Amino acid sequence: MSKELIRLSDCVMSYGNELVLDHIDLYINDKEFLTLLGPSGCGKTTTLRIIGGFLSPTAGDVLFDGVRINDVPPHQRAVNTVFQRYALFPHLNVFENVAFGLRIPKADESGRKVKLPEQEIHARVMEMLEVVNLKGFEKRPVSALSGGQQQRVAIARALVNRPKVLLLDEPLGALDMRLRKDMQNELKRIQQEMEITFIYVTHDQEEALAMSDTVVVMDGGRIQQIGTPEDIYNEPKNAFVADFIGESNIIDGVMRADGVVEIFNRRFQCLDKGFGKDEPVDVVIRPEDVDIVDEAAGQLRGTVTSVTFKGVHYDTIVDFYGFKWLIQTTDFCPVDSRIGIKIDPDGIHVMKKSHYSGMFGDYSSYSEEYEELDAAEPEDGEVDGSREDGHEE
Amino acid sequence: MRKQNRVGSRLFIGLVFLFLYLPIFLLIVFSFNAGDSSAVWKGFSLDWYVSLFQNRLIMESLYTTLLVSLLATAIATVAGTFAAIGLYSLSRRKRDALLVVNDIPMMNADIVTGVSLCLFFVAFFQGWGAFATWFNGIQGLVELPTRLTLGFTTMLLAHIAFDIPYVILNVAPKLRQMDKNLVDAAQDLGCTWMQAFWKVILPEIKPGIVSGALIAFTMSIDDFVISYFTAGSSTSTLAMRIYSMTKKRITPEVNAVSTLLFLSVLILLVANNVREIRQERRAVHQEVHEPSRLERLSLRFSQPSWQWARRAVAGAMACVFIVVVMLLTGATSSQPVVNVCSWGEYIDEDLITQFEDATGIRVNYQTAESNEALYSLLKSGGADYDVIVPSDYMISQLIEEGMLEELDYSRIPNYSLIDERFKDLPFDPENRYTVPYTWGTLGLIYNANMVEEEPDSWSALYDSRNAGNVLLINNSRDALAAALIHLGHSVNTTDEAEIRQAYELIADANRRGVFQGKVMDQVFQKMEGGNAAIAAYYAGDFLSMLDNQAEDVDLRFVIPEEGSNWFVDAMCVLKDAPHYDEAMQWIDFIASTEANLANMDYIWYASPNREALEQYPAYYQELYGEELDPELYEIMAVPADVLERCEMYTVLPPATRALYNSLWIELGV
Repeated sequence: MSKELIRLSDCVMSYGNELVLDHIDLYINDKEFLTLLGPSGCGKTTTLRIIGGFLSPTAGDVLFDGVRINDVPPHQRAVNTVFQRYALFPHLNVFENVAFGLRIPKADESGRKVKLPEQEIHARVMEMLEVVNLKGFEKRPVSALSGGQQQRVAIARALVNRPKVLLLDEPLGALDMRLRKDMQNELKRIQQEMEITFIYVTHDQEEALAMSDTVVVMDGGRIQQIGTPEDIYNEPKNAFVADFIGESNIIDGVMRADGVVEIFNRRFQCLDKGFGKDEPVDVVIRPEDVDIVDEAAGQLRGTVTSVTFKGVHYDTIVDFYGFKWLIQTTDFCPVDSRIGIKIDPDGIHVMKKSHYSGMFGDYSSYSEEYEELDAAEPEDGEVDGSREDGHEE
Repeated sequence: MRKQNRVGSRLFIGLVFLFLYLPIFLLIVFSFNAGDSSAVWKGFSLDWYVSLFQNRLIMESLYTTLLVSLLATAIATVAGTFAAIGLYSLSRRKRDALLVVNDIPMMNADIVTGVSLCLFFVAFFQGWGAFATWFNGIQGLVELPTRLTLGFTTMLLAHIAFDIPYVILNVAPKLRQMDKNLVDAAQDLGCTWMQAFWKVILPEIKPGIVSGALIAFTMSIDDFVISYFTAGSSTSTLAMRIYSMTKKRITPEVNAVSTLLFLSVLILLVANNVREIRQERRAVHQEVHEPSRLERLSLRFSQPSWQWARRAVAGAMACVFIVVVMLLTGATSSQPVVNVCSWGEYIDEDLITQFEDATGIRVNYQTAESNEALYSLLKSGGADYDVIVPSDYMISQLIEEGMLEELDYSRIPNYSLIDERFKDLPFDPENRYTVPYTWGTLGLIYNANMVEEEPDSWSALYDSRNAGNVLLINNSRDALAAALIHLGHSVNTTDEAEIRQAYELIADANRRGVFQGKVMDQVFQKMEGGNAAIAAYYAGDFLSMLDNQAEDVDLRFVIPEEGSNWFVDAMCVLKDAPHYDEAMQWIDFIASTEANLANMDYIWYASPNREALEQYPAYYQELYGEELDPELYEIMAVPADVLERCEMYTVLPPATRALYNSLWIELGV
């Protein structure tokens, strides 16, 4: 792609005994849309705050354009942030919120503090309001705006300063589903129009896949995988990534040879190579990669235990030898019917065992998992950033 | 049944509110009374408000109050705001703990706060004294003051200390409501922390700061107890002044000043509540809120492009504040001063102004409640008076204990005008320490419409025929003196049997229900309103009661056949007085004939000045256009033959004083 802009080198963040970031190495390219993805408490917001300058890493370096910026305060970084709940200034109207950063006198080359002329401020604010489709709103108090409009003000307020990097901390978390979809497109458009780097924090994998050039999956203060959305989805590195990105059935298997993996004592053809002979592995099979066939014709045979209509397809839970799989299919199979399945070699992905093995990928408690997912959509995201009191009403 | 209940509950609510507001209502009504009684209505007038603004002692204490409140509020608001912000950068557990700690001073009894601050300051002054002495000893460049006293500064510190928690209490919720990301956002957009504070935090928490400041100001204006303990002897707030005014008798002037104080605190509280209600409403209707014109204006005003306007207003306000503070401090600047401590309502205050105009010396005029209170204040070392005006027996005690300075009579030429009767008196036999101020007699005050026969003996005080209508003076010395005189003993006897005999006379009357109660200040209202028939009290006070008696009351005064007590109050200067020269000027001025005439006319106590005594009837006639009733003048300044029958108190030995005390406690009443 293009040149490297930001690098986190062996960054550690700890509070007492609590390790929030565990030796992070990460680089971000210029004009890249990079997403930090992970569940609450994974360290993604902490990473963002370190880049923004609100936190200083316990150990390790932060480099910007090759210069170490660990101790540069936020107001001296060429970085601007869109905050989780917008953090608009309630006492200022739309225009003044956007103009806020421009009104702060900045040091010029000779080190003198210079104020921008009012005309330039006006022109830049109006231009930016046009970019975010808020022309005509400049005199409104921000409290009179809808959530989506406030979001746009927050973006305009950050971008008007022409940062090299825009940091976005779960910016769409407080919006409803439809608006979120619209704003995703909007953000992508703005990023391409402005040609700057976006570093985007979210726990929503769909959002991450839809918008990003690069996705960084984090958990437990560690980077689990870095890659394009396609890589992350198709080639998850471990059970955590496989489970967190999309739906996955993760089954214990044994690599019998290159291209041959054994599940439930049956051998399947696959495309994966390079494992040791008879090495125990995790096998990922995406629900949409399974074909349902007659019981007799199946590579595996099982009993349907639950069927949920999803519009495009049915979520069908099938019991294979006590292990429950999720299969997404357009064929309706009634509960208690016996079925067989077929899996193509490219539908099978083999991963090395990790400490996540055995924790994910079984759909025995399927309905509960859905509830958990709902519950895990919290507005208040994670608490690792400001630790003691991230959020309160 | 239900209806009945409702009537009952409404009646109850009505009674509760009546109980709450009737006293204040009466206070306000009587502030408009034409007469100078607070019990008898004599028509509407604004005279008391006029005299209030001409009363320099009240105006001076008003200045002090405003100054201390403004300064304390300003400092406490800044300190409290930053403290609250600091609290919010701590972890929640620590912050909650500290907020509880912050609540304690507000809940704490004022008296405890006051006493502890007072003790703290005194302890600090002692430590400071030692340090300053040592420091002055080792170098000669800077001379540190070694003796610090309680005063305006200590009171200001105390006010700041008790105001800060109120500011924190009001600012904290605004900080809690504030999105914490706002500060990050401002810094992210290029602000330093301090810029973020001015541009973002301050506008967000401003409502809390304003109400914190308003409440702190109200608390400061309103405070009595803490000020009383930390102001020392030479500074008085309005509340302290009112308190000392009520010691003697409550004139409608007190009503007037209390009414104004009540109203100003009321206005502050109402203003604050209205603000809060508006804000709450705004918060509730935020979604559909269409800004009013005023709000649009204030919103526009808060935009950065209107910075010039805000700067102009802030600058103007700062200027006004500075000017006000300068004006207020100007009133207490470093011109020559004399500190005087006297009794309440015991001087024609015009004299103070005249003296100041004539000499350029500022008079810091304070009052004490009684000889005993003054004595303990002096003993505690908390007073820095120059001139005091104690009574005869207290003077002997002070001389005995070496607490008085000899006077330089060569600088008090008016001393020659003091009548010979008031020189060479037992309390100052060689005339070295005192210049008499007033003199008078104890006698019987009675309401001629309430007694069967007009009394001419102290026995009337113990007569069953007057049962329930006699007021016993709440001062063991005076009460026992009357009984001792009646029994033919000396008022200065140390013979325990004689004293016990006198006590028995009083105790027996008490058992027979003769006494209505022990009184001191209430004697005025009771006698003026016709609520009691007889009391032993001072002639000068009788004369001012006479002016205020109700329609059906006919007050008269008699010095009983057996004789009575007479007293002299005299000006003295305390040992090591810091303003000795000014004190001499003051004493000479007050001893002049003109000053004595003015005082006699104002306080109705006789002057010891020979010329003044002679000239007073003519002075009176000229002033009021009518002849002075010679009988009344004889009551004020009793003729020599009556004075012959009267005996002056001398200081009693400690054993006798202890006996007096224990008997007085035994009596009860």
